[in-house]
Amino acid sequence: MTSKRISLTVNGEVVEYDVDARRLLVHFLRDDLDLTGTHVGCDTGNCGACTVLYNGVAAKSCMLLAIQADGATVETVESLAADGELTPLQQAFSANHALQCGYCTPGMLMSAKHLLDTNPHPSEDEIRKAIQGNICRCTGYVNIVEAIKSVAK
Amino acid sequence: MTETQTKPLVVEREDTKPGFAGTSVPRKEDKRLVQGQGVFFDDIKRHGMGYVHFVRSPYAHAKIKSVDVSAAVELPGVYGTLTGDEVAILTDPFFELSVPPGANIKDYALAVGRVRHVGEPVAAVVASSRELARDAAELVVVDYEPLPAVTSGEQALTNDVVLHDDAGSNVVWEGLFDWGDYEGAVAEADHVVKIERLHFDRFSSTPLECSGVLVEYNRGTGQWTLHGNHQMPGVGAIWMAPALRTGIDKLRFVSQDIGGAFGNKICLHPQYVACCLLSRKLNRPVQWTEWRTDQHTANAHGNERTFLDIEVPVTKDGRLLGLSVKAIDDCGAFPRYEPLGCIIWAQVTPGCYRWRNIRVDFTQVVTNKSPVSPNRGYSRMQHLWLTERVIDLVANALDLDPVEVRKKNYVRADEMPYETPNGCVYDSGDYARCLDIALDLVGYDDLETKRLDAQARGKLLGVGIGSTLDSGTNNFGQSTLLNPDLQFSGNNEVATVKLDIFGEIVVTLGTVPQGQGHETTASQVVADILSVTPDDVTVRAGHDTYWNSHAGLSGTYASQFAVTGLGAVKGATEKLAHEIKRVAAGVFGATPDDIELADGMARLKANPEAAIPFMGIGAIVNANNAILPEDVRDVTLNCRYVYVPPFTLPDKERKFGNLTLTYATQVHVAVIEIDPETGVYEIVDYAAVDDCGTRIHPQIVEGQVHGATAHAIGAATHEVFAYDEDGNLLTPNFYDYHVPHALDMPPMKNAAIESPSPFTPLGAKGMGEGGGAGIHAVCAALQDALRSAGGATVWRSCNPYHQVWQYLQDASSLVEVQSK
Amino acid sequence: MLLREVEYARPGSVEEAIRLLADNDGARALAGGQTLINVMKARAASPDLLVDLQDLRDLRGIRDLGNGSVEIGAMTTYADLVADDARSILGEVAASIADVQVRNRGTIGGNVCSNDPTNHFPPLLVALGARFTIVGPGGEREVSADDFFLGVYLTAVGPGELLRTITIPAGGQDGFAAVTIGRDGTCIVSAAASLNGGARIAIGCVDAVPVRARELEERIGHDLSEENVRAAAASLGTMLDPPSDVHASADYRRHLAGVLAVRAVLAAKERP
Repeated sequence: MTSKRISLTVNGEVVEYDVDARRLLVHFLRDDLDLTGTHVGCDTGNCGACTVLYNGVAAKSCMLLAIQADGATVETVESLAADGELTPLQQAFSANHALQCGYCTPGMLMSAKHLLDTNPHPSEDEIRKAIQGNICRCTGYVNIVEAIKSVAK
Repeated sequence: MTETQTKPLVVEREDTKPGFAGTSVPRKEDKRLVQGQGVFFDDIKRHGMGYVHFVRSPYAHAKIKSVDVSAAVELPGVYGTLTGDEVAILTDPFFELSVPPGANIKDYALAVGRVRHVGEPVAAVVASSRELARDAAELVVVDYEPLPAVTSGEQALTNDVVLHDDAGSNVVWEGLFDWGDYEGAVAEADHVVKIERLHFDRFSSTPLECSGVLVEYNRGTGQWTLHGNHQMPGVGAIWMAPALRTGIDKLRFVSQDIGGAFGNKICLHPQYVACCLLSRKLNRPVQWTEWRTDQHTANAHGNERTFLDIEVPVTKDGRLLGLSVKAIDDCGAFPRYEPLGCIIWAQVTPGCYRWRNIRVDFTQVVTNKSPVSPNRGYSRMQHLWLTERVIDLVANALDLDPVEVRKKNYVRADEMPYETPNGCVYDSGDYARCLDIALDLVGYDDLETKRLDAQARGKLLGVGIGSTLDSGTNNFGQSTLLNPDLQFSGNNEVATVKLDIFGEIVVTLGTVPQGQGHETTASQVVADILSVTPDDVTVRAGHDTYWNSHAGLSGTYASQFAVTGLGAVKGATEKLAHEIKRVAAGVFGATPDDIELADGMARLKANPEAAIPFMGIGAIVNANNAILPEDVRDVTLNCRYVYVPPFTLPDKERKFGNLTLTYATQVHVAVIEIDPETGVYEIVDYAAVDDCGTRIHPQIVEGQVHGATAHAIGAATHEVFAYDEDGNLLTPNFYDYHVPHALDMPPMKNAAIESPSPFTPLGAKGMGEGGGAGIHAVCAALQDALRSAGGATVWRSCNPYHQVWQYLQDASSLVEVQSK
Repeated sequence: MLLREVEYARPGSVEEAIRLLADNDGARALAGGQTLINVMKARAASPDLLVDLQDLRDLRGIRDLGNGSVEIGAMTTYADLVADDARSILGEVAASIADVQVRNRGTIGGNVCSNDPTNHFPPLLVALGARFTIVGPGGEREVSADDFFLGVYLTAVGPGELLRTITIPAGGQDGFAAVTIGRDGTCIVSAAASLNGGARIAIGCVDAVPVRARELEERIGHDLSEENVRAAAASLGTMLDPPSDVHASADYRRHLAGVLAVRAVLAAKERP
């Protein structure tokens, strides 16, 4: 088949959609579901701007096909402050000036969330390792590490 | 890895004034950005829109024999195409800034007749989906006749292969800069240190969001609306409007959030014009989103510069009397913003130093590489790297202490404001003090202990200093030093501030923020003048030509927002404050001097109970003006201000004059350890001391320092746009073009001092670019580490592991000393 | 950047997967996708049919076979290896691959079957003396590491076949050393060593397939002293014909191979 009707859970809601087999998950999220918080920054799966939680773990949505995600659970940045109330992690990013242009931020938040969900008290090295797959060209990562540290008491 | 010390050590600052300026208030931009609710151009959709994919040249240099789009057009879902032939008919070539021969270069939105770099757009296809556009592009058949490629500046100078027949030469611009008396300096000197060759590598800031635009064309009015991320739309329009044969107001640029730019989003006009033509031709909105590969291959490299025959007359006590150098600047296939880079470096001709006799023979050439675009630190960074390499190599060659040589030659704090040999006026700064702080932060006094410790672990330790200036707020008159016929001078920025009927204070900016926090810092300035809080001030997000709060040079570039952007905000707000006082005075039967603004009210100084809240003022002017005395009825409460920095025209004969208003300082120190078995090295300690005058929002300033340092470290270690001899880019993606990730960053220690600028409205200086200090510091640290292992000259700006290994194998020195 | 049109199938069993692969000439197995999706984005290769292996749960997992050897399912992710401690070198090397997102999806099977010269696992598994179990229409067969990597992006897994498991024989004195483009970046040169009396040494990034440094192994013999290992490795470079690229000249790769081989052997020696 070159296309299929998929059914997956996105940010807690079940979504059904016809997708072409070649459609990247990131474009499905951005263009088909209008979840534009997840971003595209490169062609080769290096930059991590497209990071989502895929079946609970951090994954690059530009390296997944939407059609593979049939039956999967996807969480994007839009799932964090679902009721408009920023999470402690999001607040920490702002308080610590861990974002400048904000383009890497959604992916960075999802990687940080995955870290703190699995390791609530990471060391600085573990933090850097956890965001190693998220490129930032604005902050030099300094304040991002501080922000995550401040939440991982 | 040890803990990073990120709490910056603030050594000195001005007395804290009451108010919001100077404090780190929460950023207004953050709430939307942390929720993924920013609006970047690719987030915007329009009904019936088409997606653009450019067909790009696989050759560095070739004639185009034919372009056949017929197969592409037949693919279902394809809306249409555009070729160079159409572009040549429908548009005029872009305005060139240079004198002949560079002036004769013809630059269009698509390649016309010839391609001159790999990745140059040759045709465009528009389709109903991104994937179909990509598929259709493969069906476009282009018949090329390859030509030999020119892949270095020195090769370009020979003119064996000329890129632009209209120009007849590869030279874009050439000139001699000669200030002071270089020959006299040589006569006075005890030594002349000669450095054969240094090379500043090609790299760029590679913002995470690629370039792009969504263009809509209104057939009824001939109006184009461009939702994009062009960071200097005033200039973009100057290029585009004449090319499209339309009026400047017919190009409306809109942006809200931009994912970084760093200068790389200034020369987007060729692709933008192609999209304008397509949206008009196809009668539908079209969107182009640049691919990462295309950004690396075909858009916005930083200037690559070769320095030859460097000579430095020096006295025996280590005073550098002057400098003579031949510089060859490689600007890639099309100049575009060039040749401005040929003069911009002269903002900081002597770097941080007091030498008075400087001679620079500067030539800029085209090559079959990606065109350049101003890149963070634009042109000053290349020159400052030269001055720092010179200082270090001279100290090395004469066996002098690099710290002492710097201090002996630095411009001193008590000499500020200091006029440089070519008339630039350094406003303020204390370089020696910054250096002392930086050295202290890395424990410089313990250097020998550290060296021995490293040695015991089999490593070579080195310490290096990079002292630079970030010159900000350009005097565009410097362009006339390159081309006397250009009609550019001074600078400007605009802002509007209004008080609405319900008392809302609304600001529009002419700048184009890409993460620098303009909304936030503008609100701080407004809050302090109107005596409200930043939360009471709404700053419209982004940029929109329709707000009419921009001028010809509007944008965000050249480290100037704190000066020009905030200067405009200050001026507009002061106008508004005065109007508010006039209204209150009119109501109370007093004069404006009798009125003060406090806590969102206008009240009588003599009787604070007599107060009108801003909402009342707004209501009166907007809906109830018959109660105002006649002489107050001209008040609009909608104030526009154009900030104009105090520049004059430079002297074209002497190439003399003040080219930038402010000069922020960066003194960075890097400590590295080389593994001599492999050439792999690590930055084990790093100190960054910055001085940008009054800091409106210290946290934002510190963030810029972090980011600039990361860019510099990337450029020093791995980031280089390397080409093979056929002109193919070898680093077109993030695998091979390795930028710093979180684990690559060294432990960083930051400190700041504040030497306010006497020339700016707020004492602040622009500082967003930095001067590339990290590059200079790492090169110097490598040089120092290699002293005990052969003493090779570190001659290039980017030193990947294989280059360090090369230095270890082949310890050639490129330095010679001629002594009296 | 964007894939060509492709067909997609998601088999529920290994048999079904093999049938799909065997019946369709242009079919490719899709494991974690961390290589294949990139290849397809660049349109360097465009399979006609993607056979998604995600539902083949039997292919994922690490089994202690009881005699000191370990069996790893091809669909085992790098993250799975990091979390497991059956053979510590596997988790250590897996932890240095790229980043968390890649490790959550990328599989050891994909790593070896794509056989990119810069991949970590091919030289490591050659040094460990791993054995590869391949299933196809004709049944199951086992291939030794020395015979598994055949050429440019080519392995013993033929059309219509799937890698099922990788078996690591008993041992534990293992070492791995690499010079990479930045921390956890792509390898420029890598070396793996496993000691069992003598040494098995493999060098990565110097040829299309991992190079088993047999002459070096012979020269080292059973004398694993640092002095002897260094002396033996001094001429390793002369036996290699590595490529030159933007990250390293052939000479630099030759030199690094010698240095890293020593480091891998000494690290293997020091492993408890």
